[in-house]
Amino acid sequence: MAVINLWAKQGYMSTPDGQSIYFWGYSKGAAEPAQLPGPPIIVKQGEAVTINLTNNLPEPVSVFLPGQTGVKVGSQFVKPQYSGGNLISFVNYASSNGGTVSYTFTPTRPGTYIYESGTNPHKQVLLGLYGGIVVRPEDYDENTSRTAYGSGTDTEFDREYLIIFSEIDPSLHQAVIEGKPYMISKHHPRYWTMNGRCAPDTMLPDNAPYLPSQPYGAMVMAEPTEKVLIRYIGAGIDSHPLHPHGNHTRIIAMDGRLLKNGARDRSFKRFTVLVGPGQTYDQIFQWTGLGYTLDNPIPTIIPNRRNLGIGEAGWTMWSGSPYLGEKGEIPEGVVSFNEVGEYHFMLHSHSEPKITNWGAFPGGMMTMISIYPTGFLSPDVGVLSQPVGKE
Amino acid sequence: MAVIKKRYGATDGWINMPDGTVHYIFGFCDITDVPENEVFSYRGKATLLAPLLEVYEGDEIYLTLTNLGFPQRPDLDDTHTIHWHGFPNQISLWDGVPEASISVPVGRNFEYYYEPLDPGTYMYHCHFEPVEHIQMGMVGPLIVRPLIEKDPDYTGRKFAYNDISTEYDREAIIFVTEMDARPHHLVANVQVFDWTDYCPQYWMINGRAYPDTVKPPNDPSFPSQPYSAYIEGFTDEKVLLRFVNLGFENHSIQITGIPFKVIGLDAKQLKGLNGEDLSQWRNAVYVAPGQTVDAIITLPDAGKYILYNRSLQRNTNNGIPSGGMMTEINVLEV
Repeated sequence: MAVINLWAKQGYMSTPDGQSIYFWGYSKGAAEPAQLPGPPIIVKQGEAVTINLTNNLPEPVSVFLPGQTGVKVGSQFVKPQYSGGNLISFVNYASSNGGTVSYTFTPTRPGTYIYESGTNPHKQVLLGLYGGIVVRPEDYDENTSRTAYGSGTDTEFDREYLIIFSEIDPSLHQAVIEGKPYMISKHHPRYWTMNGRCAPDTMLPDNAPYLPSQPYGAMVMAEPTEKVLIRYIGAGIDSHPLHPHGNHTRIIAMDGRLLKNGARDRSFKRFTVLVGPGQTYDQIFQWTGLGYTLDNPIPTIIPNRRNLGIGEAGWTMWSGSPYLGEKGEIPEGVVSFNEVGEYHFMLHSHSEPKITNWGAFPGGMMTMISIYPTGFLSPDVGVLSQPVGKE
Repeated sequence: MAVIKKRYGATDGWINMPDGTVHYIFGFCDITDVPENEVFSYRGKATLLAPLLEVYEGDEIYLTLTNLGFPQRPDLDDTHTIHWHGFPNQISLWDGVPEASISVPVGRNFEYYYEPLDPGTYMYHCHFEPVEHIQMGMVGPLIVRPLIEKDPDYTGRKFAYNDISTEYDREAIIFVTEMDARPHHLVANVQVFDWTDYCPQYWMINGRAYPDTVKPPNDPSFPSQPYSAYIEGFTDEKVLLRFVNLGFENHSIQITGIPFKVIGLDAKQLKGLNGEDLSQWRNAVYVAPGQTVDAIITLPDAGKYILYNRSLQRNTNNGIPSGGMMTEINVLEV
């Protein structure tokens, strides 16, 4: 039995252009801040799960579990809730200002799912009440059998990352603070997030101390030829065409469903994945790049570095060398954030206004896939683990 | 395998819309083999789309980018890059992301190297401040042809991928973009634009809006828009449509009375890991920014057919129908 305790709270998130935006989010402890997104819930297929929600917000809040079946509160299946004849919640909720509710279910299939508020969701989900669920296959073993969907499903991976997408219209958040009405049909986002952060904050490490309410980074780090499982979740209300540089990804599952009909493999490779609202994609990225050895045969002449544009406003993530694992000369006055000659490939929305922070590039829904020389990355990079008090 | 040497210039220019309006663009132009002392005369001659880059699987491509500067905006000394979008297995130096490699300042050159190992429909674009430079027009089509065409058993025949099921008689590029005229106007006049207010008024195929899309290639009335989108063929011929979206919106494209057999997505033939046929019949091709779709249509009875955007408001020029993202297919009797 896995017991997950969540609190619904208010908080403030930061954007890289200096804004502080009021939001509602799930937190992982009574004394912990609300966070964006909520803590990932990582459970095993066939293992009973209890989610206890305590609601510290001024209106009813719930945990809705699209893709999970047989969710109960007490001995009853969850059911829609009405107030004065109006539907106000898809499922049972915790009452405002201290109410609680407990949901139980047993995930029957492995995969990537979302959890979100089912109460006034057009407002609460956009305010930040969402998070990801990863259901491990029954035979999953972190050391001997890392697969997304079980052994024999061609879903082995070496490292994995969860990236959750959403949009922010600051005027909605401001309206909630001020208790003013907001027309969701006029939703006009100015920020776009990956794991609750806007670029370049997406590339900062997990638990960066100056982002207390946005604990999860979105940088994908791997070594050449490793199989990297990237789990996308669309938590907002818009669709986003996500484009990784460096290679296609092989999409192995959508909405927690393996792309396989019996023996027929229906997985496919794409260089841009359109993630719709509420959708999830499991995909495997493998970088097997040309010329990643020092003695590679690719003809390369770098002109005089003074003749080139290097980085943006004095910084770069380039090593100064064309080759993996090698560092070269960077002109004076340019700061390189390159560690050991790793390659950085952008992963971003190709609806380009969404890689800005309120119109200013770079920003928004953008991060990097970083390919490090073989043997550099520690084995605990790209390992998802349960951050909440799971009993 | 061939060694291909190309040279593109990055500069600015102007395009025409069917309603008589003229719009400022950034873009590329082909300056391959132009003598060094004449290269400067290409300043201000950007085209929309940028030149087609067309190669065979296994070719070695040396592509030199020369930043010619913007004669209309000499104060704007942006650097430029070429990003081969969708290129598998690229080392980052030639990826064209200035934050993670290098970019080319005004008056300078840089040589990109590619060895494509996979056939299909791709695109290229500048990746410097991409929200601005892509919208301003630094976008072009890129086709990698399959090696099977060089097999003596198949001489003279055309295929999208290395599979005889992808054979076709004719091909057409359907490269879709939109234009919000406001940032184009503001950039021309040294003003800034809030890109989160992006809201286009013009929708294009191959850099032109209907009815200009049906006019011939290299029509002198559109000196900067050399591509046509008019399609002509005979009944029963197979036409490969190479859809590319480098706008910022999703587009749903239909043809009156002709279904699509979608055979490739994002430069990958629709086959399972073990060779399963995953091709699909569709009445609409839905393509997001940064995606490509390869679809084959079989031309029906003689007559005219309209290819159009099912988001019907996009079949207009600044609000006036008919226009925008439309073209015609003329089927002739054999």
